[in-house]
Amino acid sequence: MPSGKHKSRSMRRVYVKKPGNTVSISYRKRKPSKAKCIKCGAVLKGVASERPYKMQSMAKTKKRPSRPYGGALCSKCMREEIKGKNV
Amino acid sequence: MFELGRLCVKIAGRDAGLKCVVVDIVDDSYVMIDGQTRRRKCNVKHLEPLDKVLKIKKGISHDDVLKELKKEGIEVKEKQKRSKKAKTAQAAKKEKPEPKETAKKETLKEKETPKSKTEKKTETKPKKKAVPKAKSTVKKSTKTKTKAKSTKK
Repeated sequence: MPSGKHKSRSMRRVYVKKPGNTVSISYRKRKPSKAKCIKCGAVLKGVASERPYKMQSMAKTKKRPSRPYGGALCSKCMREEIKGKNV
Repeated sequence: MFELGRLCVKIAGRDAGLKCVVVDIVDDSYVMIDGQTRRRKCNVKHLEPLDKVLKIKKGISHDDVLKELKKEGIEVKEKQKRSKKAKTAQAAKKEKPEPKETAKKETLKEKETPKSKTEKKTETKPKKKAVPKAKSTVKKSTKTKTKAKSTKK
């Protein structure tokens, strides 16, 4: 029987086939949720969502798009911001 | 909308938010721009036109475009040269013991250029902190380089 800590749904279950032709369950941690645009709330593209040990080892350019407001605003909202500033 | 000399703002890309001037018309949908960005072909959908139209002839050079923009009050910073120097300074810091010979060869070529660049570096205000580090590395390398130069001569 699984221990009490494994009954929580914060860990996800993965079915693993062993060499003896039996199936067992292994428990893995979940990834964090994806980043959202500040204005419209759409899911941002080009922004990585990984656990801290992975994010710390990744290069800065791989975690966000290299344009102004990259990682904060989606491309549509960014264009509206720049138009509003200059016009 | 997009005539010769129209002031625009770039909306999309790495250089979004920078101001530029239309220098040549290629197509219905493409236009050559120059200014705070480098000279390149750009889609009309990625530009937002402003109210001003500057007086410009065809075949204008990059330096003349910068002069026209200065009259309007838009200053252009030269970033390319600093990035190269920062790369060489970082490379010299990280790889001190092993490739001193390779660094000598690289620095031999760049010896003439850093003298002019150091003058420009002193002029710039925000990157004063980076300047002493780069100067110190260059000084050490120049000392070693002079020895190499004398032997080669």
